[in-house]
Amino acid sequence: MGVPSWLYYLFAVLMLAVAAYGVTLLLISLPMRQVSGRDVDIAHVFMGVSMAGMFVADWAFGPSGFWELVFSVLLIWFVVRSFQSIQQFGLHVPHQAIHAAMSFAMLLMYWYPAGMSAGSSMSMSASSSAAKLDPGLGLLLAMAFFASAIFTLASPVKGASHHGRHVPVLAMSGAPGGVQRNESSEDRSVGAVETAITTPWLEDASHVVMCIGMGFMLILMI
Amino acid sequence: MTIADTTGNDTVASDPNVTARDLTSQPRDLQRTFQLVLATVWLLDAVLQIQPFMFTRGANGFSGMLNGLAPGNPSVVHGAVAWNASIVYHQPILTNTLFAGIQFLIAFGIVWRRTCKAALGLSIVWAFGVWWFGEAAGEVFQGGATPFGGGPGGVLFYAVLAVLLWPSDGSDQPFVAARTVGVSAAKAIWVVTWGLLAVLALVGSGRSPQALHDLVSGLNSGQPGWLSHIDRDSASFFLHHGTTAAVLLALACVIVAVGVFLPPKVTQVTLVLAIAVFAVIWVAVQNFGGILAGGATDPNSGLLVIILALTYWPITVARSVPIDRTTVEPRTAKGA
Repeated sequence: MGVPSWLYYLFAVLMLAVAAYGVTLLLISLPMRQVSGRDVDIAHVFMGVSMAGMFVADWAFGPSGFWELVFSVLLIWFVVRSFQSIQQFGLHVPHQAIHAAMSFAMLLMYWYPAGMSAGSSMSMSASSSAAKLDPGLGLLLAMAFFASAIFTLASPVKGASHHGRHVPVLAMSGAPGGVQRNESSEDRSVGAVETAITTPWLEDASHVVMCIGMGFMLILMI
Repeated sequence: MTIADTTGNDTVASDPNVTARDLTSQPRDLQRTFQLVLATVWLLDAVLQIQPFMFTRGANGFSGMLNGLAPGNPSVVHGAVAWNASIVYHQPILTNTLFAGIQFLIAFGIVWRRTCKAALGLSIVWAFGVWWFGEAAGEVFQGGATPFGGGPGGVLFYAVLAVLLWPSDGSDQPFVAARTVGVSAAKAIWVVTWGLLAVLALVGSGRSPQALHDLVSGLNSGQPGWLSHIDRDSASFFLHHGTTAAVLLALACVIVAVGVFLPPKVTQVTLVLAIAVFAVIWVAVQNFGGILAGGATDPNSGLLVIILALTYWPITVARSVPIDRTTVEPRTAKGA
């Protein structure tokens, strides 16, 4: 009996949903000129689309070189932002660190596609002669993503997975794009929809889904 | 939910200068932290359960894995495992989806405070069910339940942790494991656990050099190169010094067992011993539960024993300040 393909389709759909949500957040945040969390949204768009193509071969597009370039840039960006955060606020684990780890994991998936031949629906099956990701590194990253998912869900600070813990609380309490709204200058009904979409727990939920999807992919690569 | 809901202090949340870090820079609730660590392990288990091979029949599938555990056990255990394997064989997708779903439910249930107790309760029931029907009672009745291999069954440690981490108010003093069940009960659980580990290290095939050698060499297949190298050394060591290793492990377990009755500084030393011993076992003998070879359903006992030991770490007065989330002092963002 074969492996249920619906499992891969389920994860692929979830990844696309995260990507679509990222696009929505970007579109909402652009007029607000608010950059908090925008880098995470961009990363989620690329990661979601890319991983959907890994789970379901027919949904994959673009050469590997393109994706490697994208995730290399994201990795460098989040590493630099992590150091900047530490410089600014002292020694702590910045939220950008987990996004840097996720960008690194995406790169690994393109560098070592050999281990991803387990699923019939998966796109990146390669010859047995290809290099394989060290399973220890894969497990370590997967555990980090699972821990991030659990601790993000449990955190009393909603939205921190996108904005960190150093932005004003009010900015993470449902205000679109992480910025205070000027009620008098905005259409209230549109604003209500925007507020619902940008609610911090939904931002965290997208991060949690991405963490679990990526962790599952790494486990498959082992 | 926003931070305002959590703190119960809406005026704080309305201050545009207050950052999330300001509101969370309080003493950490260690019991909650350990609950979340446990939830992380459950999430790992759930994801391992949805690996492709788990949905397949045959010797390499989940039912084949279960069938391999049944032989050599008393009929009551053998029958239970064989019955479970039969069901999984006939309905691999349905049963495995159900098994994975329960583990996802436990993991996420622990995260949400309202469902934490229900999830921990479910985890206890599930752990004993898996122990009996899925792990052949940890091979305790077969005489092969050495702690080197995960005896008396890695899944039992989930249940022990669920009991010790049952949510309750109060202080983490003198150690987190005592917060709910009390110091005496926690110490009793500790002594029983480590006493059992000491006994299992010496009885049955636990002290047999050949059995211990075979235990390691049996896991070697499919491991990454660096772990295979460690395995070869471990197998060779057990073949020549297996009995000595078993006796030393039993001795270490006894020392750790009595360690909680000694002064905190000495207790810490015995806990470091426990963590170090089971870290070595987890890597060099249990091979991370076989996860790196791509055919595991859980990380085995080593990781859980380490987490258990950490819950008994003596807490100083300074670190056990009661958490009061209603008296958060707002500060400016830049002042964080």
